[in-house]
Amino acid sequence: MFKSSAIHRLCLMAPKPQRSRHFGETALLGTATKKPRTLTTDATASAADSDSNPMKDAFSKYAAYLNDLNEKRERVVKASRDVTMNSKKVIFQVHRISKNNKEEVLEKAEKDLAAVVDQYISRLVKELQGTDFWKLRRAYSPGVQEYVEAATLCNFCKTGALLNLDQINASLRPLSDPSVEPLQINVLDYLLGLADLTGELMRLAIGRISDGELEFAQKICSFVREIHRELMLIAPKMDDASDMKTKMDVMLQSVMKIENACFSVHVRGSEYIPFLGSEDTNFSLLGVPEIE
Amino acid sequence: MDSSLQFSASMLTSKHTSMATQDSVSHSPHSSALEKQFQDFRHHFDDSGCLRERIRSVASEIESAARLMHSSLLLIHQSRPVTEVLEKAKGQIGVLKELYGKLAEITWECPGHYYRYHGDWRGKTQNVVWLLAFMHWLETESLLLHAEAEEKLGLKPLEFGLDIEDYLIGICFMSNDLPRYVVNQVTAGNYDCPRKVLKFLTDVNAAFRMLNLRNDFLHKKFDGMRFDLRRVEEVHYDVKIRGLSMNGNSTGEQGDGPRS
Repeated sequence: MFKSSAIHRLCLMAPKPQRSRHFGETALLGTATKKPRTLTTDATASAADSDSNPMKDAFSKYAAYLNDLNEKRERVVKASRDVTMNSKKVIFQVHRISKNNKEEVLEKAEKDLAAVVDQYISRLVKELQGTDFWKLRRAYSPGVQEYVEAATLCNFCKTGALLNLDQINASLRPLSDPSVEPLQINVLDYLLGLADLTGELMRLAIGRISDGELEFAQKICSFVREIHRELMLIAPKMDDASDMKTKMDVMLQSVMKIENACFSVHVRGSEYIPFLGSEDTNFSLLGVPEIE
Repeated sequence: MDSSLQFSASMLTSKHTSMATQDSVSHSPHSSALEKQFQDFRHHFDDSGCLRERIRSVASEIESAARLMHSSLLLIHQSRPVTEVLEKAKGQIGVLKELYGKLAEITWECPGHYYRYHGDWRGKTQNVVWLLAFMHWLETESLLLHAEAEEKLGLKPLEFGLDIEDYLIGICFMSNDLPRYVVNQVTAGNYDCPRKVLKFLTDVNAAFRMLNLRNDFLHKKFDGMRFDLRRVEEVHYDVKIRGLSMNGNSTGEQGDGPRS
């Protein structure tokens, strides 16, 4: 009696064995869970674990590998973000440049760039030894590009010349300790950063024009033109050809904006500068017209 | 670091010497250095582009060999005997070994750049892994491990190895094909197959759960595995409740055939 009522109770309590769900439940639940589980089902109950042990041994190795890789990736991404943020700060500083504070601004910018290298790029160096340099490129490339942008911008303002890849890499060599390979920026990240530089130079040129520094703007104009021309031949050959193509389109827009600004100044001559910004809707930096 | 990517300091000195012979008035001293740098870049990309072409050509041969292997393996669905199917498919393994050897040689010209060009053989390698793993299962009813796969293809981890993520994704692809195999086996009268495949896939799934997967392609593929598992369970259930499969006994009883 007891037995049958117990069974009766059991039947009431037991979930309906649904087709395909019976021992499927345990297998299907929480596939996103991260904790290791051993699965036993009808089919595996009698199976000797000797078959799955080499599998489990192997997979614990794979797990260790993936954990290391993902943790490293995270560290690289974090360092890259820091490089990006602080490089952007340098770029903003350089935009504040004017004929009066040029020395001061550039000095501070250089100092800050050196700090980026010391504090943030140094964190990348140890993570990117050996094959990790290319393996993790997607993780650090944005940061490196931003750094290249900042460094080349400073250098242009200082010397009027393009900071070339070899010079940048020379500056990165002393930073790391002798036991590790220094971080050397690769051609692709350099060129992508260079493409972004032209955008900043466009902003700089427009800014300088509103300050009356026409010569500087003209220098920028011919510089950016040259870069665009050279890059045109290289862009389609790059590994990141499609990324670069987009940047080339943007670059041409930047070049033309600078050219149009120089044109406006040229055509309108002295009348242009005092009334700068009041008519021309192209300029986001609407300067207050100079009061004569 | 690879020296072909580093531009030596001697390039800096050249800008001072080429200044003197500038023809165009618009050329500043700086622009010749700029031109030189870009010229070097162009050469670099010509070289790397060449390398990539060669890599792609070998990769496409790998794809062809894999296709042939796959085509032979497909005969398993037409219930040709396993040994015959494997015999044919295995013929391609030697070809693949040779091709991966070529790939290793080419990339070795630029040491450390495995991952620069990895994208060109990644998908194809994942396919090769799943084919090998499936063949291994047909032969041994066990999982082809990463080290075993590497060995079959003649790959050496320190020189040109099998990327672990490629291997794992390949295993997920193999899982995707198992339901179809099971269905056709049952239709052909092999009623013990679902039980075996179910056990196998369950174990593989459990092993994968040991991995701490991030939200990426591998994770997506692994998520798909549960649908394969579910389908195999369905087939197993269908066979079991109709008493078609003998409980845990794989000897001789399959010959009894379906219920009349």
